[in-house]
Amino acid sequence: MLTTPLCKLLNIKYPILQGGMAYLGTYELVSAVSNAGGLGIIGCGGSPPEWVEEQIYLTRNETDKPFGVNLMLMSPFLEQIIELVIKCRVPVVTTGGGNPGRYIPSLQEAGIKVIPVVSTLALLKRLERLKIDAVIAEGRESGGHVGDTATLPLIPQIVDTASVPVIAAGGIADGRGLAAALSLGAQGIQMGTRFICTTECIAHPDFKMQILRAHDRDTTVTGKSLGHPMRCLKNRLTRQFQAMEKEGVPPKALEEFGVGRLYDGIIGGDIENGSLMAGEIAGLIKEIKPVTAVIQEIISQAEEIIEYLHTMLGKS
Amino acid sequence: MVTVYEKVKKVVEEQVGMDGEEISATTSFAEDLNLDSLDLMELMMAIEEKFSDPSSKLEVPDEVVEKMQTIQDVVDYVEETLKVREK
Repeated sequence: MLTTPLCKLLNIKYPILQGGMAYLGTYELVSAVSNAGGLGIIGCGGSPPEWVEEQIYLTRNETDKPFGVNLMLMSPFLEQIIELVIKCRVPVVTTGGGNPGRYIPSLQEAGIKVIPVVSTLALLKRLERLKIDAVIAEGRESGGHVGDTATLPLIPQIVDTASVPVIAAGGIADGRGLAAALSLGAQGIQMGTRFICTTECIAHPDFKMQILRAHDRDTTVTGKSLGHPMRCLKNRLTRQFQAMEKEGVPPKALEEFGVGRLYDGIIGGDIENGSLMAGEIAGLIKEIKPVTAVIQEIISQAEEIIEYLHTMLGKS
Repeated sequence: MVTVYEKVKKVVEEQVGMDGEEISATTSFAEDLNLDSLDLMELMMAIEEKFSDPSSKLEVPDEVVEKMQTIQDVVDYVEETLKVREK
């Protein structure tokens, strides 16, 4: 059976993490992923602590397996949510959208495993001065906020520098991606877009359908001029946003133009004017399935590939 | 002897890929050099390396990095830290 040291570290069966997506990392998806042997992760986004507390409670109602909470570092409620995850003794915390350095010691003291998302070597080196348990290296193929480096060149560079297990993210949706990540030296994967197209995910059906319809060139990056580029499915919103950026519309007006768009798109189902955060791998996803099926298929496909690779040595 | 300012300037030139003549003590990282927070972090890692040796390491805390706006800010911080170290 496919297993890596990361599984033991996180007390999970399969080395698969579900990205803590804002609005979509709810207890329905999180508990389904954890029950299927992966690590489900609640996505805080900019939600208030009361919402996060409810999600933790509901997740624990549905599963006795480990799960995580993703802290979005730009959240206005960040400090309150950190207090909350410490109080609730959440097993794992992942972080995104910046440098979590100052919050790591208190989380570690509470016995929480801390796994930051990084997209640069510089951030990894800084974080390794503190105690972290693993690191998620996310390439620019991923949906939502993205860095500059693609997954294929990023992972081996992070692996060579990191002293903790590396989890690969960005551009992975099947067993081939998992096997590739393991080849690059990662001990596991994190997926977002693949888990949106599951029966358990509460995303609007029309948003799920847009992912199923997407082809290889159907995502784009906006917001580069604001300093926090974001990958979404192309639609009227991304075209308008890019035109405004090109015209040199001031950052404040651009930010205002984007307010509320994510919710409208992925929960409200406004596929033309909403922000449909999704990764480049959307083009590979053709079916909505239960979480268990997604995870089982990825594991058996990766196992088949690893066996097949063995035959290339001519010794089988 | 090479001053702290000259050393810092050299690191910035190498990191940003700019001619030294375009850089001065008042050069702003965000406004003049167009560096974002990740670029600034990378630059500070290079500064730390430049002023570290096997016997003593320079480590600039996150909250200090976030406040660095100009080359002079970096020079002041490095000079102050080196002074404390010598004592």
